[in-house]
Amino acid sequence: MRKALGLLVFALGLALAQTPLKVGVILPLSGASAVAGKAALNGIQLAADEVNAQGRVRLELVVVDDGTDPAKAVPAFTKLMTVDRVDLVIGGLASGVTFALSGPVKQYGPLFLCIGAASSVVEQAFEGYPLFFHYHPWDYHNVAAALQFFQSLAKDHGAKKVAILYEDGPFGSAGIGVYKQQLERLGYQVQAEPYKAGSGQFTPILTRFRAFAPDILYWIGYDVDALPIATQTRQVGLRPKLIYGAPPSWPIGFEKNPLSNDVAGMTAWLPTVPNAESRRFVDAYRKKYGELTEEYMAPMGYTIVKSLALALERAGSADKNRIAEALAGLRMNTPFGPLAFKPSDTGRTKYQGFGPEIWFQFQYLEGSRRPVFPKDKAARPLRYPGEYYLR
Amino acid sequence: MELLLQTLLNGLLMAGVYALVATGLALSLGVVGIVNFAHGEFLMLGAFLSYLLFAFRGLDPLFALGLAFLAAFLVGALTYWGLIRPVLKAPELNQMLLTFGLSILLQNLALLLFGADTRVVAPPYQAATLALGPFFLGAVPLGAFLLSLALLLSLQLFLTRSRLGLAVRAVAQNRLAPGLLGIEAEGVYLLAFGLAAALAGVAGVMLSVMLYASPSVGFLFTLKSFAIVALAGLGNLKGVVPAALVLALAEALVSTYLPGGGGLVEAVFFLVLFLALVGRAWRGA
Repeated sequence: MRKALGLLVFALGLALAQTPLKVGVILPLSGASAVAGKAALNGIQLAADEVNAQGRVRLELVVVDDGTDPAKAVPAFTKLMTVDRVDLVIGGLASGVTFALSGPVKQYGPLFLCIGAASSVVEQAFEGYPLFFHYHPWDYHNVAAALQFFQSLAKDHGAKKVAILYEDGPFGSAGIGVYKQQLERLGYQVQAEPYKAGSGQFTPILTRFRAFAPDILYWIGYDVDALPIATQTRQVGLRPKLIYGAPPSWPIGFEKNPLSNDVAGMTAWLPTVPNAESRRFVDAYRKKYGELTEEYMAPMGYTIVKSLALALERAGSADKNRIAEALAGLRMNTPFGPLAFKPSDTGRTKYQGFGPEIWFQFQYLEGSRRPVFPKDKAARPLRYPGEYYLR
Repeated sequence: MELLLQTLLNGLLMAGVYALVATGLALSLGVVGIVNFAHGEFLMLGAFLSYLLFAFRGLDPLFALGLAFLAAFLVGALTYWGLIRPVLKAPELNQMLLTFGLSILLQNLALLLFGADTRVVAPPYQAATLALGPFFLGAVPLGAFLLSLALLLSLQLFLTRSRLGLAVRAVAQNRLAPGLLGIEAEGVYLLAFGLAAALAGVAGVMLSVMLYASPSVGFLFTLKSFAIVALAGLGNLKGVVPAALVLALAEALVSTYLPGGGGLVEAVFFLVLFLALVGRAWRGA
């Protein structure tokens, strides 16, 4: 009997290894989140290559571009469901796009492995959907990690005033009121102003901030705003002690620009992270692509595919419900640290992967990003005040 | 008072770049009679040229200015010769669809070649600032403003003092009569379209230093240029500078004085466009 069962499992495994499982990948390969989207795709492809080379399961990726635009994302997703007929989808990087996808996802019912979409608006939208696995921390996790940093800035450096520039889309403006209140609870005076991402016009707002004389200039937006803010802050004579940014990705070449020096931000991963899984990922990434990435979406995509392959192997079936079951009970090490799913803090969704523990603060110092907070992850002390003077 | 003056200065500096981009659009509209939706893509060309020369040759964007002028002129002239000329007598809708398609084609070509990433240059003077008492002027926006002014003055001199410029104006006023006087209208169209693209190319180099280079960098400026051209009066070159000034100052004032005004900047040009069109309709009625 045991022998027969063993043979059956072996035969099932063999069948799984020979029949490729189609996995839909919907990412922003163009538009505002393209840098992060392409990094995520690189990570996904790297992991799929490794998984296929091992031969225990075979994955076939069907990649579509959501254009960081709900109007493009919904038809692209519908194509995955109706033309490519996939049962598993990896995607959902930008919050606005993922929110728009919540309806079609519920309609077609795939196993949805969500790579980004931190906004809790997305958490509400997927409430009760049983096949939703959210790997990325939620916005309240991000806020908790950032607030810890701001608490330290107030306590250790005497920072008192924060000027916030936030883009007026779902990414920047969701929860800004709560964020403001929480900073005020830490003892900060806060002035917050919205702006249009990509408009490049910050001088009027920054000029107004001058009267407020903030210790920290905090912007929540996209990579297109990074250089205009760093430049125009100096051009209007604003003298913050720290410029702190929270874009999903940073522009290409920004680290080589002297204006990036001392600009701080938050990330979940850097290639220098001293973690065995991370080192393995970095080596494999460099080998495949001939370069290194600093985008944390690359290891996030890699982690998702690795976890999926493991779950698929354990489930011994291509059935999405069986895979979801296996995924729910998974424990594994990743470049970010250990991964295990549990209900989200609000209880709205059942499977939440990472929490605030993966975030850390970095600062652009001498042409690269160096971890500076919390202390156990810091490679260098934070340079505060930063030197954002006339040049 | 100090805040108001600084706000006006900010608006004034931005108006220079707006005027430069919009003048090109007005030129192609006024002389060739084409609504060029691909105007922003000529700007993108300048921005990428500046980035590539900086990233791979270490060349300062200042050196890219002349090259961008020539390259964009060439691309503009080729676009006119290959695409615009055959549809000059076609219905306006066809012409607009053609330039709209060209815009999408050029944007996607840039996406294929460079990806959608935001790319930045780093000349040493990028954040240089002039402090005049309590007022601050960014050296790059000031330089861009002065360069725009110089280019627009040169264009004005060319159009009013040279024979070729007079021919351009003659063709802009009447498409048939100059032909009777021996003016080659097609050559004038080619020159005007090339010049329009060249001005956008130069503006692109400036924007690569002030903002960034990406396939979509020109889109917003094309939209704003349409508002400026509508405010100035379609094809009216002289009205472009005052109209650019009105738009840039309105944006700066709204952004500074309205609560949450930074998020309303985009609404300003729609409002300007709306008011210009309604105003014209009333005057015409």
